[in-house]
Amino acid sequence: MITIQNLTKKYNGQIALDQLNLKVNKGEIYCLLGANGAGKTTTINLLLGFIEPTSGSALINNLNVFEKAKETKKFLAYIPENLMLYPSLTAIENLDYFSGIAGKRLSKESLISFLKEAGLQENAFENRITAFSKGMRQKVGIAIALAKDARVLLLDEPTSGLDPKASNEFGQLLHNLSQKGVATLMATHDLFRAKEVATHIGIMKDGQLKEEFIASDISLHGLEKTYLSTMNYKEVEL
Amino acid sequence: MTRKTFFKESKELFRDGRVRITMIIVALLMGVSIWISARQYQNINEQYKVAKTSERVIWDSQGEKNPHSAAHYGTYAFKPKYPLSLVDQGVDKYAGTSIFLEAHKRNEAQFSAASDQTGLARFGDLTPDFMLLFMMPLIIILLGYNSFTKENEMGTLTLLKSQGISSWKWVLGKWAALFLPILILTTALFMVAGLILSNLKDFGVFDWSSLLWMYLIYTTYYIIFVNLILFISAKTKKSGISLVVSLSLWILSCLAIPKAASNIAEERYPYPTRQEFAANVLKDKKQGLDGHNPWSKEAKLLKENVLAEHGVDSLHKLPFNFDAYRMQKGEEHEAEIYFKHYNYLKDQFAKQSKVYKGMAVFSPYLPTRFMSMAIAHTDYGTHWDFSDAAENYRIATQKFLNDDFAENSAYGNWGYRADANFWKQLPAFKYSPPKLDTILSQNFSNLSILSYWLIGSFALLLFIKKM
Repeated sequence: MITIQNLTKKYNGQIALDQLNLKVNKGEIYCLLGANGAGKTTTINLLLGFIEPTSGSALINNLNVFEKAKETKKFLAYIPENLMLYPSLTAIENLDYFSGIAGKRLSKESLISFLKEAGLQENAFENRITAFSKGMRQKVGIAIALAKDARVLLLDEPTSGLDPKASNEFGQLLHNLSQKGVATLMATHDLFRAKEVATHIGIMKDGQLKEEFIASDISLHGLEKTYLSTMNYKEVEL
Repeated sequence: MTRKTFFKESKELFRDGRVRITMIIVALLMGVSIWISARQYQNINEQYKVAKTSERVIWDSQGEKNPHSAAHYGTYAFKPKYPLSLVDQGVDKYAGTSIFLEAHKRNEAQFSAASDQTGLARFGDLTPDFMLLFMMPLIIILLGYNSFTKENEMGTLTLLKSQGISSWKWVLGKWAALFLPILILTTALFMVAGLILSNLKDFGVFDWSSLLWMYLIYTTYYIIFVNLILFISAKTKKSGISLVVSLSLWILSCLAIPKAASNIAEERYPYPTRQEFAANVLKDKKQGLDGHNPWSKEAKLLKENVLAEHGVDSLHKLPFNFDAYRMQKGEEHEAEIYFKHYNYLKDQFAKQSKVYKGMAVFSPYLPTRFMSMAIAHTDYGTHWDFSDAAENYRIATQKFLNDDFAENSAYGNWGYRADANFWKQLPAFKYSPPKLDTILSQNFSNLSILSYWLIGSFALLLFIKKM
């Protein structure tokens, strides 16, 4: 579903992404790990078509993101680190609007069912977003992806700032989506959550993909060790 | 998508307490301004009716009198208040309401409402045109300054972009949501004004088509502002900056440019002072026939010509009273002088208007204001028209009186008195303001400039590439 080939992005001659090659198939959850400035967000922004690449290509559902920007957006959903919705609208109204933007006309029953599926508590459906926690907003974001019937999910640090329970619920939601065949690319700092939910893990540094694993082939401790050594960090003995 | 954006934006607007309160205040102010204007309209028209009737009664009941004494006694031409002045009072307050019509002299309109007011009047009045011209654009700014910037500031823009939003449909949705409350307020104001006017007594020349044109002019004015404010919001990164730029546009458009236009026009094409004007008129008058002076060179020449024309050697042998004839000729000469000097003023006014029209390229306020006043019959054009009509009536009245004096008395018979019923034969002064089609054709340039503004502002919207 996602195919990235030799993707490079330079800002004023400064390399942000260097010859990235990556593939995420149907039903896979690919977690990109890396320190700040490693190129994770740049990768996601390139896939969203928010920025132009310097060279290389990126395909979503076999469509070139940079040539068919509008068409590729039909297949993908995006949840940023801080999903911001319209505070004066209710959860249902936000879902209705963002689905409408994506060209979906949904009945109230359908909207409710998507919010339920995303795990939002029912008494919050008609509440305005202004009182929602970050975890609740992320669930509305998942509902937006479900309503859109997105085949590709791009997530940028979605669990940062979430409490363990919310983070766990979020991981469960991703798992459910993966079961439905959704290909997910998630940028994160959270090694534990990456190990928990991912099918594939990549470690990025200085715009390059330095390591790539199948998640089940590595332990959490092994992942941590590899990550730290890739980053040239010293492991602290506890 | 357009519909969804429209409903989303409308919900956001109406759920914002500040917006609700502002809209309620504006609606109340509009209601109050219409009520005040309707009261003024009724009061002034009642006064007009009373003054017109009583002045005619006074004229008709002069009894037996020398016609030239009656000419000096004079009468008044009263300017009615036109129905659409309820919406736009224009220059009515400053232009004067009546003109004293007497022999030998063209007087200016007097008794303006402004002269009856205290210094507090400098703060301006709460009138519908004030609300329509100044407050509504401010409301548009209040509702629309953050229309696009808020998406960036709230962080919703990235999600919208990822959903594959179509920028054009998005802009259209926002445009409709911003324009709708303005349209509702404007429509309500014009509907109420129309209903009040159609139910008022003595509603004169009110017709719905004039009101509809006025409504269309103001609607166009608001569309231009909506387009400009959305463009500013789309092209600025922060709501604060957008608000400052939008308010600057309002200040420039509604306050600074009209004032600058006025100063430039006055500087380039000044009116003579009152003293200069009077001195110029007097100078020209002296160079011609004075109806009261039989010994002047001009009067002697007239006498010789008339005697020769009638083949007689004495004024006593003429079939009419030469004194009255001479006075009529004097009137004609003086009227010519007045027309010459007033035409100069009108010419200056026309040149000043051209400056205003030129400046209208920088401000949609100017063509809107001129169109609105013209349709309401409260502009200087209508005032000039009324003034000319009153002058023509004065000239006709003087001829009516002098002819009677000339035909019914002999030369030297200053004791002649017209019959007490004679005065009733003078037709009453009637004035019909320019019709709507005349006004529209006279204001074609204003209409064109407003249309250019409309097209230009829509063209700016096309440049929004916020996505």
